[in-house]
Amino acid sequence: MTGPRPLAPISDYGLLGDTRTAALVSGDGAVDWLCVPRFDGEPLFGRLVGGPEAGTFRVGPAPPAPVVERHYRPDTATIRTTWAVGDRRLTLTESMVAEVTGRLLPATLLVRRLSAEGGPVDAVVEFDPRLGERHRRPRVRRRGGVLVCEWGSLAVSLSCAPDIAVEPGRPTSVAVTPGRPVTLVLAVASREPLVDVEPEAAWDAVLRDEARWQAWTAGIDGSLPFREDVVRSLLTLRLLTYSPSQAPVAAPTTSLPEDPGGMRNWDYRYVWPRDASIGVNAFLGVGKLDEAHGFLAWLLHASRLDRPRLPALFTLTGRRVPRERELAGWPGYLGSVPVRFGNAAAGQHQLDGYGWVVDAAWVFVQAGHRLYSETWRAVRGFADVVAGRWGEPDAGIWEVREAGQHVHSKLMGWLALDRALRIAETHRLSARQRRRWQQARDAIAEEVRARGFDPAQGSYVRSYGSEDLDSSLLVLPLLGIDGIESARVSGTIDAIRERLSAGGPLLHRYPPGHDGISGTEGAFLPCSFWLVQALASTGRRHDAEELFRALREHASPLGLYAEELDPATGAHLGNYPQTLTHAALVQAALAIRDSPG
Amino acid sequence: MFGLVATAALTAALITAQMAGFTRLDFPLVLGTLVTEDPDRARVVGFFIHLLAGQGFALGYAAAFAVLHRATWWIGALFGGLHVAIALTVLLPLLPGVHPRMASQRAGPSSTAVLEPPGLFGLNYGVQTPAVAAVVHVIYGVVLGLLLRAD
Repeated sequence: MTGPRPLAPISDYGLLGDTRTAALVSGDGAVDWLCVPRFDGEPLFGRLVGGPEAGTFRVGPAPPAPVVERHYRPDTATIRTTWAVGDRRLTLTESMVAEVTGRLLPATLLVRRLSAEGGPVDAVVEFDPRLGERHRRPRVRRRGGVLVCEWGSLAVSLSCAPDIAVEPGRPTSVAVTPGRPVTLVLAVASREPLVDVEPEAAWDAVLRDEARWQAWTAGIDGSLPFREDVVRSLLTLRLLTYSPSQAPVAAPTTSLPEDPGGMRNWDYRYVWPRDASIGVNAFLGVGKLDEAHGFLAWLLHASRLDRPRLPALFTLTGRRVPRERELAGWPGYLGSVPVRFGNAAAGQHQLDGYGWVVDAAWVFVQAGHRLYSETWRAVRGFADVVAGRWGEPDAGIWEVREAGQHVHSKLMGWLALDRALRIAETHRLSARQRRRWQQARDAIAEEVRARGFDPAQGSYVRSYGSEDLDSSLLVLPLLGIDGIESARVSGTIDAIRERLSAGGPLLHRYPPGHDGISGTEGAFLPCSFWLVQALASTGRRHDAEELFRALREHASPLGLYAEELDPATGAHLGNYPQTLTHAALVQAALAIRDSPG
Repeated sequence: MFGLVATAALTAALITAQMAGFTRLDFPLVLGTLVTEDPDRARVVGFFIHLLAGQGFALGYAAAFAVLHRATWWIGALFGGLHVAIALTVLLPLLPGVHPRMASQRAGPSSTAVLEPPGLFGLNYGVQTPAVAAVVHVIYGVVLGLLLRAD
């Protein structure tokens, strides 16, 4: 039934979310990805990387028709898609209900409403839930007008108004007439009873949620440059934050390919400390203190078992990330195999992580907040680790599977110690510890300037002894190790812009293919936003604005970004949408706002 | 008095387990944040709430020993096992429903609660949390068994 329908381009997918899990819905109305009961749970609809056997939930015109309009309703998480069916219009309005606390609603509630204009339109409902790695079919029963699908402790229900006899795995036709919308409500219950919600009540819950999102976005500074893009990115960041722990998931998907047809397919349904840290900056920058505090609190809570060591990534509840494994029989997106669950990067030593986290604590202090003693104790522990281990090779920000002496990692180690010392000006610290940190910080600066800078290129390089450049070095102006007027800073920015250019505003993160993994990859979007930030913070505001405008052109039609783009075709690549890219976008806009240029 | 000694022993064992990186479970913090959001103060307040609760549970243990007409370390250990089973399967999972600063698994964007819910068996606080909780409660029961036998 679902086999012949081709998969949509990644950028065709929109994000629906409730801050506990998220669904990806294509322009033809198919929810092709939804994990339950949370972001890193089992796929209920997994067609995106699992093929037709992995399940889907399509609601749209029958047969498929061209999309004439698709957008998020302003300042909300509700997507509205309109198809032209001859001279008639069919519109799907859909959302997940985020705020269920204190009310008798299921933890996950997806509401989809079809309406017609200009005359009746034939629509189709394809509801084919399959659970987990083996695409398990449910035990199906009907209770009144409600379809209930069960897999042991997990159950989902589908109710419709007016009543439609939907049968799992088979397309069901429905005629939508003007003035009589058809509402479908999917409810999920995991280890608890299902809660039946009348479609009208579910629709009211969506409208209340919309009002809540609009109130939330109304608090964002109206004079921000590129405010519309910033608001969409902030909403995306919030949708990708797991509310029960405040953990920002890197992306809601696994194994969307960086190299279509290749093996660069990773599971991003986990949390990287650097994403949380950049999130602290992004939310603080727009005055969203609760969200910034939530990210920082999660970071400190999650890292508690491993302190003073900082793992490279965590699960949503701060546990160890499952061992990486490959799913047998999953065809992958456009044949990109293997599809992976779990992530082997969890065991890596990444020195830069300490810098991001300590810097987030410093930003918090700078904003006028005093760190709790436990927070300061954690920061001290991280700084001690950096002071003791900065000379060791690490996997670096790009998580290469063979450790090296990465210049970006050393710079971030310097940042960790520098910011810890700044925090120590207003917090208790022993003289011995202070001396140790100062000595290590100065030693890093000396070594990086001597071994990590290539005078011939006038730029810092990727690793000691290498001539390769690295776009992550674009954070240089923000660190302060060299002044923003320094030739080392401007030389590094210019060299990266020129030599790692992928055309237009796009950058490679390092020379393509130089990472020991077969295949190549696209341009790395966070780096482009870091370039905007670097240009703005070194006084080149005009260039920064131009670049930002050019990058906007590469957003998906719904304003979302993956991690990478194919420079040749503009296709989005990698897991989607991506927290790091959206956080970098917000920071870029804030840098333009604060630019001295 | 015996309750205070047993609770102090439980707390010392729990803090040791936390310091060793076995669990994020922190009773004084969880209890103290019922009263204040400052974790430093919460730990102090929570410690006294914890002592008080420990004293209350000790009275329950004493009553159970009295019913059996004997108090031994191993009966105390069994009571500790029962105690921790109820705590992990009933008390901790119910906590988000009443704790003003603990999120629930259903938390949404409006939630400003920052304490993560412990989940069943407290597993969200580390996979070894059930084992740590069991050990410290058994210690509590053993101490009470020994002290009440000597009484």
